[in-house]
Amino acid sequence: MPESKNGAPNGALTGRGYLLDNPLFLFYYFPANNISKLEMHMHKQELRQGINDSIPIVLGYLPLGFAFGVLANEAGMSTIQATMMSVLCFTGAGQYIALGIMQAGGAVFTIILANVLVNLRYLLFSTSLVPYLKGQVPTAIGSLLSYGLTDETYAVSMNRYQSHSPTASYIAGLNLSSHIGWIASTLLGAALGTYITNSDRLGLNFTLPAMFICLLVFMTKRKADVFVAISAAFLCLLIGYLVPSTMGNLFNIIIATIIAASLGMLINEQH
Amino acid sequence: MNSTNIWIIIIGVSIVSILPRILPVALLSRYEFPAPLKRWLSFVAPAVLSGLTALSVAAPDGFIDISINNSFIWDFIPTLLVAIKTRNFLYSLLPGIVTMALLYNFIF
Repeated sequence: MPESKNGAPNGALTGRGYLLDNPLFLFYYFPANNISKLEMHMHKQELRQGINDSIPIVLGYLPLGFAFGVLANEAGMSTIQATMMSVLCFTGAGQYIALGIMQAGGAVFTIILANVLVNLRYLLFSTSLVPYLKGQVPTAIGSLLSYGLTDETYAVSMNRYQSHSPTASYIAGLNLSSHIGWIASTLLGAALGTYITNSDRLGLNFTLPAMFICLLVFMTKRKADVFVAISAAFLCLLIGYLVPSTMGNLFNIIIATIIAASLGMLINEQH
Repeated sequence: MNSTNIWIIIIGVSIVSILPRILPVALLSRYEFPAPLKRWLSFVAPAVLSGLTALSVAAPDGFIDISINNSFIWDFIPTLLVAIKTRNFLYSLLPGIVTMALLYNFIF
């Protein structure tokens, strides 16, 4: 605490205006305003960055969401139901599986159980985000925004966190725009599906694989990462080949990830 | 399948797809993970991404198809090379889309 000549804290006992007596007043007062403006600016920038980073995801979702809308209609869902499913679920693989089981005449329970399996991998994704979000994004907001966690938003945000701290604005920009893209393309597919027969010609269906390839290249920095990546790819396909049902519920990704990450630990400890 | 059942499916799938995403962030954020667990988790992203890449390229229609007829494998090669060389997403996106459009419209 800065003190005046008579030893009393500045302004506190002199009876005159505290602010004017304190030589640090200018630093206390005006910069505080500027910081909040600066923070606003930062939030906006982070939000914009999140939205920008969602563009390739949205492009990739377009054909997938569209196809989901078309197929959902064919499986007996109304346009509202198909769209609401994309609003409330936001799980591409899970939604397709639901349609598949519906069309095969399966039970409601089977669909939900299959979705428990398909979505288990998010436990792993979400847990691996915790060390990054901790102390950077308030838990309540972080949890709410995790609603928008998908394979794609996970990949993009993990890549971002290698060089930037996570912020709520960035996650909101990325996850919400991706979700809006998913919802909008579903709505379009369900409403217009019958008019458009083939979107393969546009070459858009390689957008998501291309994004995965890029992010994979960006994220494999350590030698152990390369080893983990190659073993995960190999294991994932091997498990899918040996136990074909894992191709449907994506359990092969979970098992391959657990084994490959553990192998990575071993390699890392040896060097 | 009647409309009520479809709504039950939508709500049910919604619950089981949201919980595994939200719960870890909601419940685990208050704990400090031990260092070995953190290190293990740091390998999760490369492993998951590699698994997703492998599946999206080698099984684009949901079943494994490693053959010259799988155009995604043809796209994979230029995309990977450009990604390693340029480390830029947009540049890497282009050869894949161009190759895909060419292959689809003229060969397959």
